[in-house]
Amino acid sequence: MTFMILAVTLFFVLVGMFILMTQVSGLKQKAAILQSDNAKLLASKIADSPEFSCGDSYGTGMSSCIDADKVINLKNYLSAYGYGRFWGIQGLQIIRIYPEENNIECTSSNFPNCGVITLIPNTNGTGISNFVSLCGYNITNGQSYAQCGLAKIIVYYQGAP
Amino acid sequence: MRILSAKDNNRGQEEMVGFALIIILVSIIILAFIGFSLNNHSSQSVQSYGAQSFVQSMIQTSTECTDYYGYVSVKDLIFMCNSGTLCSDNQDSCSVLNSTLQDLLNQSWNVLGGGPIKGYSLNISSDTGNILGIISGNLTSSSEGASQDFSEPSGGNVNIVFNTYL
Repeated sequence: MTFMILAVTLFFVLVGMFILMTQVSGLKQKAAILQSDNAKLLASKIADSPEFSCGDSYGTGMSSCIDADKVINLKNYLSAYGYGRFWGIQGLQIIRIYPEENNIECTSSNFPNCGVITLIPNTNGTGISNFVSLCGYNITNGQSYAQCGLAKIIVYYQGAP
Repeated sequence: MRILSAKDNNRGQEEMVGFALIIILVSIIILAFIGFSLNNHSSQSVQSYGAQSFVQSMIQTSTECTDYYGYVSVKDLIFMCNSGTLCSDNQDSCSVLNSTLQDLLNQSWNVLGGGPIKGYSLNISSDTGNILGIISGNLTSSSEGASQDFSEPSGGNVNIVFNTYL
């Protein structure tokens, strides 16, 4: 009788361990996905900060919208933000996806005929990106029009990939 | 020296049979559970933050279609396509919407380069029916996506569903 009880108990313990192993095996993957989502949230938080955000300049109710004019001028004032330490990041870059442009670095004189805005060159961080709208005013036929393109904001941070 | 009686032997055999029955029963339950899990081929779509930000940014993107105020965004172009309104240069708004979204998707999601994203699908619909559908790549059973609803100026609803397949 005692042997019987011990054997049944041991059997159910083994079954329980097997079930626990199958449940725990997915935890690492879930943790990696969570870390990736948190990093993307960081990119969106930066995009929605007053230094980058369009506000109401290009219409009301716009989110994840970056004002290109603001960002290009921000390059001259990065020392006030500790070159990224204010946001806790190692690097920051915005790359236009649509309309497709070249890899020329944007300045106040060549925008919008450029494709990359590098605010803080990456020094050794892990990069994560998220989609944003990149908006600016262009002059067509002597008139100024607001135009928004699709871009990716790439934030480099100190952390495991 | 105790001599085992026939009754003792029978009791021991009964216990072993009982133990074996318990093992068989638990094994059948585990096998049934594993079989059910493996046969569950229904696709599961997980809400993706990347897809959500793509949809949000996509609808704000300016298109080649213009109206009196300037370049029309994808969101407004959807409204124009749904109502049959032409662009100011007489271009068909639905054609411009289709070509713009094709370009946006091709340049944003590389499904042919062997990366983690194997395919994508975009579906735009309103209360009156489907407006536009774009599919590319391999639509696997594992997907991440996002959806967005917004109201038309005329009062109807538009729904955008975007999925990436892994």
